[in-house]
Amino acid sequence: MTTPTRHPSEDLILDFARGALERGRAAVIEAHLGACPACRAAVRFAEAVGGALLEELPPADLAPDALEGALARIETPPPSPGSALAAPDDWIRVPADVLDAARGNRRFSAPGVWVAAFTGTPRRGARSYLLGIDKGIAVPRHTHDGKELVCILKGAFEDRGEVYQAGDFIESDDRVEHEPRVTRDGECVCLVSVDNSLVPRSLMARLFQPFVGI
Amino acid sequence: MHAIAIDQGRYRRRSWAPLRLAAPMTRPPAASDGFAEMIGRIAAHADRAAFAALFGHFAPRVKSYMLRLGAEPALAEELAQETLLTVWRKAAAFDRAKAAPSTWIFTIARNLRIDAARRARRGDPVEDPSDVPEAEPTPDAALAAAQSVGRIRVALLKLPAEQAEVVRLSYFSDKPHSEIAEELQLPLGTVKSRLRLAMGRLRELLGDLA
Repeated sequence: MTTPTRHPSEDLILDFARGALERGRAAVIEAHLGACPACRAAVRFAEAVGGALLEELPPADLAPDALEGALARIETPPPSPGSALAAPDDWIRVPADVLDAARGNRRFSAPGVWVAAFTGTPRRGARSYLLGIDKGIAVPRHTHDGKELVCILKGAFEDRGEVYQAGDFIESDDRVEHEPRVTRDGECVCLVSVDNSLVPRSLMARLFQPFVGI
Repeated sequence: MHAIAIDQGRYRRRSWAPLRLAAPMTRPPAASDGFAEMIGRIAAHADRAAFAALFGHFAPRVKSYMLRLGAEPALAEELAQETLLTVWRKAAAFDRAKAAPSTWIFTIARNLRIDAARRARRGDPVEDPSDVPEAEPTPDAALAAAQSVGRIRVALLKLPAEQAEVVRLSYFSDKPHSEIAEELQLPLGTVKSRLRLAMGRLRELLGDLA
């Protein structure tokens, strides 16, 4: 797999490293990091700054029995590793909880389209989901209320003359209108995090939206 | 969400003011080598003494971090304990070529806090979401991670005060930069440019490391 060519902004990298992103947004960045050595290095640097700042914090008082309590808890066997499932071969590496959502929450939405909720409540407020679209299918023209973050986990799509590939990270806001079409090579799966709902710009999109629930 | 709700107003100023008084170099940077050894001993033979030493150093700092981010004292304590328990469980996954102990522990604490916020909304079980399958350590990771934290602390001291302030505020708050700007009564552009300058300057001061 080639190295992604589209990356999160410096601001987003820092927001991720400092812990200012909720899980849905952080997971989109993490998915990109799994495929991008350059952004991984940038995040590590920003995290090392976090480590240095942690070191210089004045220690807070703990309960007198805090260590005792912790030692008692390490006696209990660690929780089972849960779902350490491997991502399918044709996906980029993804966080385990994203993979769980992809397997557990996957729903048919419209012909050739599936959606799997990851965080938040469907159709309302900040939320994230996986979106799988069959080859050749176009998503009707739309824009977004607020910011949308996308990382392509598998496959590729074209939008306004550009091709976006697995691992690419795309940030767009309400100034951007898209009409992405999945390439002919195969299914495309994206991890998407949105602030708010999608705003359809055409009749087709208005018909599409209720089915997909995005 | 309520569990980490911030006591608005009262919390705001206090969240950063004491930091500027804290003496930053209370421990020589070389200590992080010792901590890496301790994590290694936990991984190799479940060394409880090593755990106790790590706990003694890091749990109070992690609690301090959680408090600064607005956690109630009880939750801050619980998350500090959970952070160190995660260190115990995942000791074998710690790679000293990739990160200094304090960097690794910072990321665990950060992830547990984000997850606590999520659980507070959904009532889910505890789970560290940070298990991203990692690629092989690339040359970028061959950075002298053990020394990185000490060097960054020295570099932080060399930053102009107003830049160091936005860096600290930014790491000890999960607020968007627009809110940080409001608190400082500065334009958002100023906060962002100070932050960028600071991170750029840190990278410069650290040279090969970043």
